[in-house]
Parts: sequence; structure tokens; C-alpha cells
Amino acid sequence: MDKVGIIGIGQSRFGQRSDASLRELAFEAVKGALTDAGITLDEVKAMVVSVASDELSFALQPSSQIVDYLNFYPKPSFRVEGACASGSMAVRTGWMTVASGLADVVLVVGAEKMTEVSTAAVTDVLGRAGDFIWEYPFGMTFPGYYALIARAHMAKYGTTEEQLGMVAVKNHHYGALNPYAHMRKEITLEKALSSRTVADPLKLYDCCLISDGAAAIVLASEKLAKRFNNDPVWITGLGLGTDTLSLMDRRDLTTIDATVEAAQQAYTMAGIEPRDVDVAVVHDCFTIAEIVAYEDLGFCKKGEGGKMIEEKRTYIGGDIPVNVDGGLKSKGHPIGATGVAMAVEITKQLRGEADHGRQVPNARIGLSHNVGGNGQHSAVHIFRRD
Amino acid sequence: MEFRDFSLLVEHTKVGEFAAGLERGVILATRCKECGRIYYPPRHDCSRCLSDQMEWIELNGTGKLVSFTAIFVPPEHFTPDLSTAAPFASYEYHPAPVGIVELKNGVRVMGWIPGIPRKELRVGMELVPIPEILPDGRATIVLAPPPEE
Repeated sequence: MDKVGIIGIGQSRFGQRSDASLRELAFEAVKGALTDAGITLDEVKAMVVSVASDELSFALQPSSQIVDYLNFYPKPSFRVEGACASGSMAVRTGWMTVASGLADVVLVVGAEKMTEVSTAAVTDVLGRAGDFIWEYPFGMTFPGYYALIARAHMAKYGTTEEQLGMVAVKNHHYGALNPYAHMRKEITLEKALSSRTVADPLKLYDCCLISDGAAAIVLASEKLAKRFNNDPVWITGLGLGTDTLSLMDRRDLTTIDATVEAAQQAYTMAGIEPRDVDVAVVHDCFTIAEIVAYEDLGFCKKGEGGKMIEEKRTYIGGDIPVNVDGGLKSKGHPIGATGVAMAVEITKQLRGEADHGRQVPNARIGLSHNVGGNGQHSAVHIFRRD
Repeated sequence: MEFRDFSLLVEHTKVGEFAAGLERGVILATRCKECGRIYYPPRHDCSRCLSDQMEWIELNGTGKLVSFTAIFVPPEHFTPDLSTAAPFASYEYHPAPVGIVELKNGVRVMGWIPGIPRKELRVGMELVPIPEILPDGRATIVLAPPPEE
């Protein structure tokens, strides 16, 4: 099978972007990606769009707002969706579109506008990404679901609230160095631990931000990728897993089986092992999610995720730097954009173009991990530079 | 009892009997007559053998608390000062304590935990899921300490 390469990357600044609508945010990212690739929209043969929520964009088919704003007619365009993993679904679908030969240059765009409604409304919409018939009636929210995961992990493995806080401290440390990040400030462990409770045991600084933002990449076939860019980043492994909608049905609350499955697929396809990964971005929608991801991706043994952050093994200079872009925690989490933004970040890292202080030296193999819902979907992608 | 009195949003379902069960004081699951698989939350269809021949069974007995939380930032429907507020918001729980218990047959049940101070909750402790009819007539499930022997 021919390889599929990333030849262009772009993203908008993440944050409370009261200056821009969904389509305008997406345009910022697309402009960046096309400019980076050195091509025009005329050369793009198909477009895949990720917007996770109709509710937050006030409209059905929100992707059409983005496609229309780019005047991308009459070529193929469509939306893919998988809650917070929508962006990785779009990257995967873009890869499939190129690999199948349906189109040799594909633009993948992810965007979300989340701050035009109240926090209570966003909490409501996201809470219904769980089982809205059987769990939502108990007032379940996204922090609530991950709080149940956290409590179970603490009971089984002795993970502590301090260790959760240490994830936040790390991600804010790197986010402060990222000009595209939503919240560019360092925090102390004391500040994280003394912040108000959102869903016990998770506190404010255990939770990712509600953000607006967009990201875009240009994918090309092996032949064209080398013509446009003499050093593309290749997507060499893709995995996608699925787990139960209801947390009541989970085999084990402390593991996201969809991630274990996706990681296995991706490692096998890329022909690598977890220890070969030089840099990773993982789905830290909540601090506990990053700790569980270390374990489910095979970066450490099951149950040792808390120890891994405590020993700073996921900082630059440690075993495997994780979320050195700030993660969802500090960079922000515009849900439809996140998976695409992960591909943007890993491409930057493998090109050696990350900002001063957060570039992983000599990174050649990167990994992205993107969870949809509270584990219903998990996508793992492996990236490599020749 | 309408199913929406439990679900808040949905009325159309083939397992509406569940809400009637809560009204009668029982928590119902379904069991596939073909393969015996038990479904909770109840399902009308068995994904394993594709049968729709299910029977209702009552869930009984104590379970072990698998995990719990207390939600301090509620979703819009549960925000106490909004007119759209759902029953529990106007009832007594804020922050809302929620947990999952695992019964002896492996079935896991979600419920509110109103009667126990949060500091006394422990993963592994014994609790019983029981139906609760709220002052406004809606139905839900609470996890309560087991009755004294």
C-alpha cells in the first residue's frame, strides 16, 4: 500500500474566541495548512470536516458552513463525527480517502465553537454524549464520568489527588510555551489541589478547558507528497477501538478498552512498540485520563500511571514526553478540532518546529491518542519522519 | 408512570415497563429467553442472539460500590435555579452524589446516594439500589445502606 503523508499543517489560536465564528476559525486553520503546504484550494481534491456538535453550532450539518466559507465546490466534502474523537476520525477518513485512491490530495479540517453558550449548557450537551437515556437522568456530566473512573483508579491502584494535580502542572508548564494555547500560564501543585471541586475527586484544574478553535492538515499520496514537500511526515499506523456507551457496562472502570485495542492495531500496523515512541499527545480531557492513557498505551505497567507522572517521566528528558503542547488541559479542547490539532502538533515535533522549550530533541516517531465520549471511541495514530 | 418520568427526555421505547417497575418499587432488568443473557439497563433486543424474546426480571439484594462521585457543577437540566430543572435539582441533592453498585449477579446499577455523608463512602462498601418516587411524582434510583439484619 502506498504511504500517506502530511504536507501541510495549520491551526487557529485556541481560546475564548469571541472575535470569530465557527467558519472563520476554520478558515484560519485552513489558510495556515494550505500556506504551509504551498498549494491552493484548487489542488485539493476532497475535504473531510470534523465538527462534533450540532447543538453547540446551532445547526444541522455545521460542516457545510465551513465548506461553503471556503467556496469549495463542487468537489467531494463530508463530515465525520465521534464526539471528542471527531478530529481523529476525520484524519483517519482523510487517510482512507487518499490510501484508497479516491483522491490524492485531501484537506482535513476540525473546528468547534463552544463558548457562545453558557457553561451549564456545554456541560449539558457533553453530558449527553454518555448514555443519555440511562445515565443522564442521574445528572451525569463529563467531569462526573471521569470522576467515577478516577475514584475507581484511586481505589484499585492507590493513585492520589496529588498525582492528578501533577499532570495539570506539567501540561500548564508546556502550554505556557505554546502561542496557540488557550491558557498560557504555569500553575503550582498547591493551586491545582486547592481549586474548587467540579466532580469529586476532580477539581477545576483537573478539567480541560472549554475552548473555541480549529486545526487543519493536508494529506497527500506518497507520489504527490514528495513533489510538494521533500520531507513529509507519514501516518504509518492507525487504530480505532470502541467501548460501551454506558459506564455501568464497562469491564473495568480503570481501563479504556477502546484505547488498548486502538493502540494494539496502530503499533502492529506501524511495526513499532510503545518504547519506540519519541513524543506523544494523549487525550487529557481530565488529568485522570492522561494517567489511564499512559497505562492503556503501554507507556508503563497497568496501575503505575500515577507514579509515572510523579517521577516526571513524561516531561521532556523523561522516558516519553507527553502533551508538551499543553494538552487539552492547557492548550484547550475545541472538541471537533482536537484530533486534527494533535496531528498538527506531532508533525511540528517531528519536523523539529515546536516552540523553544517544548521541542522534543530528535523526535522521529510520534503518537496521537484521541478519545470520544468517555471511552466509546478511541483513535491512536502513529506518525513517522523518514 | 411514563418512561419520561425516569429518563427526563425520552418517552418512546420498548422498555417503558421499567418506569412502571420503579413505581411498583422494583428495579427491572431483561433476560434473553434464548441465551439467558441479562441486560441492565434493560434492552428489548439481545445483540448476542438477535432475539427479541426477552423476559423481565427483578434485581434484588445488596451490591458493592464500584465507584462514586459528587457532581458540584450540574448540567443545565439539573441547575436548581432554572425553570427547566429536573426533579433531583429541586429535591435535595447538591452536590449530587452518584455511584455505581455491582450486584452479586454482576449487574451494575447507577443511582443517587443521598443518605450517606460523602466522607463515609468507600469503594467496596455494601449498598442496595432501590426505586425512589420524588415529590413531583418522577422516579429514580437511590443507593441506600442495606437494612439491618
